[in-house]
Amino acid sequence: MIAAAILFFALAALIGATMLGYLLKGKHIPKGLAMLHGPLAVVGLVLLVVYSLLAPQGAWIPIAIFIAAALGGLLLFFKDLTGKAPKWLGVVHGVVAVAGFLMLLLFAYHLTSG
Amino acid sequence: MNTESVWEKVSKPASYPALGQDISVDVVIIGAGITGMTAAVELAKAGLKVAVAEARRVGDGTTGYSTGNLYIPVQPSFQNIRSKFDKETVHVVAHSRKEALDYIERTVTEQAIDCHFSRRPDYMFAENTCEDFIAKEFEVLQEAEIAVEYTQNVPFPVNAKRAIFFPNQARFNPKTYIDGLAKTFTEKGGQIFENTEIIEAGEKDKGCQARTARHTINARAMIMATHTPKGIHLMQMLAAPYRSYVVAASLKGGRYPDGHFWNTDPGGYVSSTHAVYNKTLDMLMVAGEHHKTGQAAHADVEHYYKKIESYIHKNFDVEAILHRWSAQHYQAADGLPYIGRAHRHAKHFYVAGGYFADGLTYGTVAGRILADLVQGKDNPWAKTYDSTRFTPVASAGKAIKENINVLGEYLRDFPGNHDFSRVSDLKPGEGGVIEVHGEKLAVYRDEKQMLHAVSAVCTHLKCIVQFNNAEKSWDCPCHGSRFALDGSVLEGPAIQPLPARRVET
Repeated sequence: MIAAAILFFALAALIGATMLGYLLKGKHIPKGLAMLHGPLAVVGLVLLVVYSLLAPQGAWIPIAIFIAAALGGLLLFFKDLTGKAPKWLGVVHGVVAVAGFLMLLLFAYHLTSG
Repeated sequence: MNTESVWEKVSKPASYPALGQDISVDVVIIGAGITGMTAAVELAKAGLKVAVAEARRVGDGTTGYSTGNLYIPVQPSFQNIRSKFDKETVHVVAHSRKEALDYIERTVTEQAIDCHFSRRPDYMFAENTCEDFIAKEFEVLQEAEIAVEYTQNVPFPVNAKRAIFFPNQARFNPKTYIDGLAKTFTEKGGQIFENTEIIEAGEKDKGCQARTARHTINARAMIMATHTPKGIHLMQMLAAPYRSYVVAASLKGGRYPDGHFWNTDPGGYVSSTHAVYNKTLDMLMVAGEHHKTGQAAHADVEHYYKKIESYIHKNFDVEAILHRWSAQHYQAADGLPYIGRAHRHAKHFYVAGGYFADGLTYGTVAGRILADLVQGKDNPWAKTYDSTRFTPVASAGKAIKENINVLGEYLRDFPGNHDFSRVSDLKPGEGGVIEVHGEKLAVYRDEKQMLHAVSAVCTHLKCIVQFNNAEKSWDCPCHGSRFALDGSVLEGPAIQPLPARRVET
């Protein structure tokens, strides 16, 4: 389940990086990308929560970071749809999400090595 | 292809100036269609100082592109409303529409508006679908105390066992009627500002404010009568935009059946006859082939006109096809128009919309309700049409369907998804979305090989616009904003134009 969560987050990250590129260049962000990015990340998060509820040791720190990233992502999506998304918000969202992803990788590493 | 409506062609409207300075009035009305002008006249009659701001010309929006029919029946149907609401709601809708017809007749008489208003019957029938639909509709109408009867004598080429006969419905020239209302309104001291595009409107301090690029109108109250509210509004999730097509023809021998003939089968046409040029019937109009705005299944919109023309030729002895045009309407999720305050917390800001294709009658109902609400008067119909009503069960089916459709349109916005790969692929008269350096552009090549390019991203909620080859416009498939080739807003919720872009041939 952790591996599946990592896969979904990785896919979401790839699309997110593409979207960030559009945002930083000041171009229209294709909404199809946003419509895929969000749900992929949500599936990853749900898998992670389910795993954490069932396993003796939960990935609660990555989950907390991903929830913070998700809230930023929602705000970013709303801002983009209704006006202009701030570039700084895109960067912050991306950095937080990457931090969550790294924490998740670290968690998975500890699981497999320990 | 010329797609100007016959009403636009025959009307000789007065001109009104653009807003040239900041002004303060009691009420500002945005939009000079039938809703806005009906409210304007009523408020001016009450002695209020009223200004009407119209982005283009009076009646040039949907009113001037309607089919000029006034009737009690509604889309989707009274039985649909009965199934979602109650007996009382059906009664209010039916009788408010009946009263709207009477109101228009009184207005035409009192103000001597030469709009060829005439009472005539309406026939509702089904050719292929179950007879039960007609039987149920008849039953609901009788329950609502509307005078209807069955008839087997429909003066129209129709293959139906029986039809519901509505006596005393009406027809008129909607553009001339609106021009008449505008004349009365200005005679009573009202001000009309044409070519006055409002780019920001809302409540401010204890009143309302509407702004153009240069000037401001301050008012105690504001009515946005723009078919769907301008800018971002919840109504856009609840009332979906559709376009339908009209073909007008003259018949040999001048034999026109007098009436409004509604084939309620799925995809059935609505036909009517009119006295456009003369006092006697001289034109047949057939309307139908509706689809969601910006989502024509056939890239060549001509297809829809051809289908209607083929129906007319098959069923009538046609002298000539005279006019073709299309118009937009908004279908409310729970089947009832939204008329009232702009939102739950609004105190002096009112909106109206979601009329389906029954807007001349509903617009008149709305104008009267809004005029009463602005004056703080009780209106017996206001509660039924309340724009802030919460009807999750009645709305869910259609709202979910329409918003999934919108999500689908957003999902189509992917890098590399475009109509043409290169500008050079565009033939004269063709338009489409082209991706240039990662930006989607809406590009049209005119007959003289000139390229017209604008951003393809709708300025309302950022869907990708689609080319409408009949009207040479860019139509947004999500919420119905429409733009001219130069990017200027034609109609719908968008306020800002599509920004111009340069492309290399």
